[in-house]
Amino acid sequence: MKPRKTKNAQKFTIGMKKKLVVLFVLVLLAFIGLGLRLINITTKNGEEYEKKVLSQQRYESITIPFRRGDILDRNGTVLARSEKVYNVILDTKLLLRDPDFLEPTLSALQSCFGLDATRMGEIRTYISNNPTSHYYVVDNKREYADVKKFQDLTDKESETYNKDIAENIQGIFFTEDYKRIYPNNTLACDAIGFTTSDNIGLNGLEKQYNSVLSGTFGREYGYLDEDLNLERTTIPAVDGNNIVTTIDGKLQTIVEKYLAEFNEENKDKAHTGNGAVDVGCIMMDVHSGEILAMASYPNYDLNNPKDPSKLLGMKGRVIDHEKKEEDEKEAEKKEAEEKEAEAAENEEDDDSEYADVTGGADEEEEKEEEEKEKEKIPTVPDYITQEKLDELSKPENYEVLLENYNALWKNFCVSDTYEPGSVSKPFTVAIGLETGSITGDEVYQCGGSMEVPGWKKPVKCHGVHGAVTIDKGIEASCNVCMMNVARATGKEKFSKFQKIFGFGLKTNIDLDGEPIATHLVHSADKMDGSDIYTYSFGQSYNCTMIEMIAGFASLINGGKYYEPHMVKKIVSSSGATIKNIEPRVLRQTISEDTSKRIIQCCNRVVTGKDGTGGSAKPIGYTIGGKTGTAETSPRDKRDYVVSFMGYAPADNPRYLIYVVVNRANAVDQADAKFATRIVNKVLQEALPYLGLEMTEELSEEDQVKYQEFMEQNGYVQKVTEESAEGEENAENADGENTSEDEQKPEGEQKTEEEKKETDE
Amino acid sequence: MERVAGILRRQSIRRQIMGKQKEETYVDYSMIFIILFLLAFGLVMIYSTSSYGAYMTQQGDSAYFFKHQFVSVLIGITAMLFMSYFPYNILKQLSFPIYAVSVVLLIMVGPFGKRLNGAKRWLRIFGVSIQPAEIAKIAVIILTATLIIKLKKQLMTQKGFCVALGVAALPSFLIYAVTHDLSSAIITMGIGVVMLFISTPGYKRYVLAAFSVIAFAAVIVLIVKNADPSSKMNYRFERILAWLDPTAHASGRGFQTLQALYAIGSGGFFGKGLGESMQKLGFIPEPQNDMIFSIICEELGLFGAIAVMLMFLILIWRLMIIANNSPDMFGALLVIGVMGHIAIQVILNIAVATNTIPNTGITLPFISYGGTAVIFQLAEIGIALNVGRNIGR
Repeated sequence: MKPRKTKNAQKFTIGMKKKLVVLFVLVLLAFIGLGLRLINITTKNGEEYEKKVLSQQRYESITIPFRRGDILDRNGTVLARSEKVYNVILDTKLLLRDPDFLEPTLSALQSCFGLDATRMGEIRTYISNNPTSHYYVVDNKREYADVKKFQDLTDKESETYNKDIAENIQGIFFTEDYKRIYPNNTLACDAIGFTTSDNIGLNGLEKQYNSVLSGTFGREYGYLDEDLNLERTTIPAVDGNNIVTTIDGKLQTIVEKYLAEFNEENKDKAHTGNGAVDVGCIMMDVHSGEILAMASYPNYDLNNPKDPSKLLGMKGRVIDHEKKEEDEKEAEKKEAEEKEAEAAENEEDDDSEYADVTGGADEEEEKEEEEKEKEKIPTVPDYITQEKLDELSKPENYEVLLENYNALWKNFCVSDTYEPGSVSKPFTVAIGLETGSITGDEVYQCGGSMEVPGWKKPVKCHGVHGAVTIDKGIEASCNVCMMNVARATGKEKFSKFQKIFGFGLKTNIDLDGEPIATHLVHSADKMDGSDIYTYSFGQSYNCTMIEMIAGFASLINGGKYYEPHMVKKIVSSSGATIKNIEPRVLRQTISEDTSKRIIQCCNRVVTGKDGTGGSAKPIGYTIGGKTGTAETSPRDKRDYVVSFMGYAPADNPRYLIYVVVNRANAVDQADAKFATRIVNKVLQEALPYLGLEMTEELSEEDQVKYQEFMEQNGYVQKVTEESAEGEENAENADGENTSEDEQKPEGEQKTEEEKKETDE
Repeated sequence: MERVAGILRRQSIRRQIMGKQKEETYVDYSMIFIILFLLAFGLVMIYSTSSYGAYMTQQGDSAYFFKHQFVSVLIGITAMLFMSYFPYNILKQLSFPIYAVSVVLLIMVGPFGKRLNGAKRWLRIFGVSIQPAEIAKIAVIILTATLIIKLKKQLMTQKGFCVALGVAALPSFLIYAVTHDLSSAIITMGIGVVMLFISTPGYKRYVLAAFSVIAFAAVIVLIVKNADPSSKMNYRFERILAWLDPTAHASGRGFQTLQALYAIGSGGFFGKGLGESMQKLGFIPEPQNDMIFSIICEELGLFGAIAVMLMFLILIWRLMIIANNSPDMFGALLVIGVMGHIAIQVILNIAVATNTIPNTGITLPFISYGGTAVIFQLAEIGIALNVGRNIGR
């Protein structure tokens, strides 16, 4: 019975039971305390913590790239398009799951994407340094062919499949992207422009129409629905719209061919370098303001805009060694500044750009900061030779190199201003006639020069023209005649009409880079005594090519000033037309009668015996136009801008072409033939393409020449038959046009009469 | 062995005498229900919390942890059933061998331990990983109970008290020294203290001890808080600094705590719904372990969390009832040990999750992932059930 006793003695006592209750109460209190703590956390910090939790979530939202819209020419030829490419991404963590994966995967990468040894080394270093990374860009923008090659390695149905290798290729995936491709490389480079690798337009149409061409990024993302569930959704990317430009690819090709030919013929003639500092050409439809072609030389490859070889021969900025030495001596700062000021006068427009580019502080220069406060790589405008290019290509001169690229990428036709010279003479006459200041029957005496108030020396003419009518004045490009007309007009009226023709105003062409030119043309209140005289023959004021051609179009189309434009139509990626861009008549500049008179005058420039533009005339076509030879500032009789504005057909102009040669590479630059020859060749090839029939019978000599020309350019044609047909058609066309002309003027003559009254 | 046979014989004789009373055997169904509920709930939560991590780390097997735990739970239930039929008086005789084995296993962790997640706490025997610290807890319960019975009045003496306390202190010290598992050491020690607290009269020394522990902790916290940030002390006690300001140590020790707080706070009143936790997706490291309570808060909200706490409270209450009605003191002490074990562990776990105390790795009984723990905890419950079975005899 002992055990039972023990058992009784060892019963759980009341005291222990009490203590047990105390213990339980303690536990209960602890639970209550923790419960309160939980309630406290939830109510006090609940919202804050909820936000924290949400903000921590990686929704892994993936951006889906859009396809940038195409740029097409007026016939649907692709000038720029975007092609789907792939970025190669490495997931290190997946790759390193098994040591067997590493080598086969890397060798597959190397063989499929042609990565060089240094790149492979970089990848290996990255892998060893970041063993848990999920995203490393191995390579960018690879074409599908390469990707296919890689995928074939792991595709059971392909020929290159090898089970052992395929199973060990791990951790590589591809993301989609788009790459901009310009199928014609340099074609219309200035007008089209190019994009950054992020698909942002940098120049030309790519910049101007960036928002139209850009689509909307798609997105694949996770979000929380109302029950706070994480959902995944994909919003597809919206592709950008296509733009149909007014450019005619064929005409553009013709123009660029002859600009390049001009360069070939003239380069390294007087000095090493391109055939001219700049050559630009614009072709325009007179009756709509549509730009058919726009090109300048030097050009560049849109697919590789930073191709240093394109800089060769260009007049850019090179390192100024003399100045460098001067700077080092810290002497004669003023001289250097004066030089800069001179340079600024020469290229006002350029300088502002340069200033912007070089404005930013350079890292390399920081070391020398102590030596000098004003630290800039001294540069001097000069032609870029291989030797100088090598120097520019050094990393420390990168900014100067970039300046030169910017100069190369600039659209000469739109961005550069110059003194137009005699091309402006038809404007002077038109203003005179339109304001009633001259009747058109005046005869002026040209003795070779004319006294101008404010000038010590009389202003010279190109020759001694004797008795000069208005028509003769334009034909022979007589400065004295023009000065007389301008004097008769007076500066108020002259200045008012300059504005009407758009000088000193932006044309608002849909292209990037048009400068504000207000200060380059003095308005009446700012004109000094001599300005009206020099303005009459196109000196002392500046304009851009696009300003000049847009104004000139109104001179010969009956006085309608069309806003020049580059884009005809905006089309959605599926092909639906979103917007048609119609020609816009901004204002009536002159009456139809005045316009006819100007055409009559300008035709004599090409056909007249004293005409300065005879060399522009293509075989078989009668054209009109006006030459221009302008001195550049400083007036040292060395540098000239020569130009030719031509139109066809002569009696009813439809197409306008304007060629400007800025400082030809020649001892005697003052020869309009640099420009007229280009026009001649372009028109010779372009006019048949444009469907204009020949207006003249070809002499035997011409026939041979024409045959030669066509054969040279790859046309095989039977000239005689063509020309015979051409004549008939041309006559028909004339007939129609004259009847139209007769119908219109009545109303406009009235307006002209009214104008005369008010003017008087 | 003779004595064991004797007790068995005596019990069978008693059964024969009071044959009809067999049917009146007390079975605490409410406790069984709570245990089964917690186990099932634990398995659901383990699947919910671990599936993402398992998918990422176990070759896409999102049920990896669930399957392992399920097997452990089945073994544990078997152990519980076995222990509930195993007469607890026999444990008196087995107490020392069990204790010795657990101490030996603990020492063996030193040279033969298996390292997991940077902590050396496991022993691999016949291909099965076990955590000797979990065995030590049950061993301490049994041996302390046995000693208290043996010492009787001697317990009131200084020496006797120290001997009884030493039963818990030895494995507690070993756990901390060998495995650096502070939390298991505290729990083991706590079990011994709780059992002695019940079995000795008077509060004075316990209140004093509690105050001195609190004061000691406060002094350490103050020293650490004001220590030079670059000193070594700072590194060692970073968990205390992280406790004081988890956001300041968000990238280090405070990370887990902070993420757990975010989880609790973002759950709101009714939570985001079962399986909808976001914090388990890689933010709380191994959410199926120590911090499972914070995921419960996030998914089931304050409501679910308090419900779980109530379940534990009812379990502890049932254990108290069994202890109070225990046929003898030994049974009562065993149940008190089990109750103390579960109460301490639940309180510490929730206190850690809510950043009420510094972060020590403590699992939530029956719910957190851990095979050895769930098997031995269920075995303890089995002992309690066995004690309960004998109520009224």
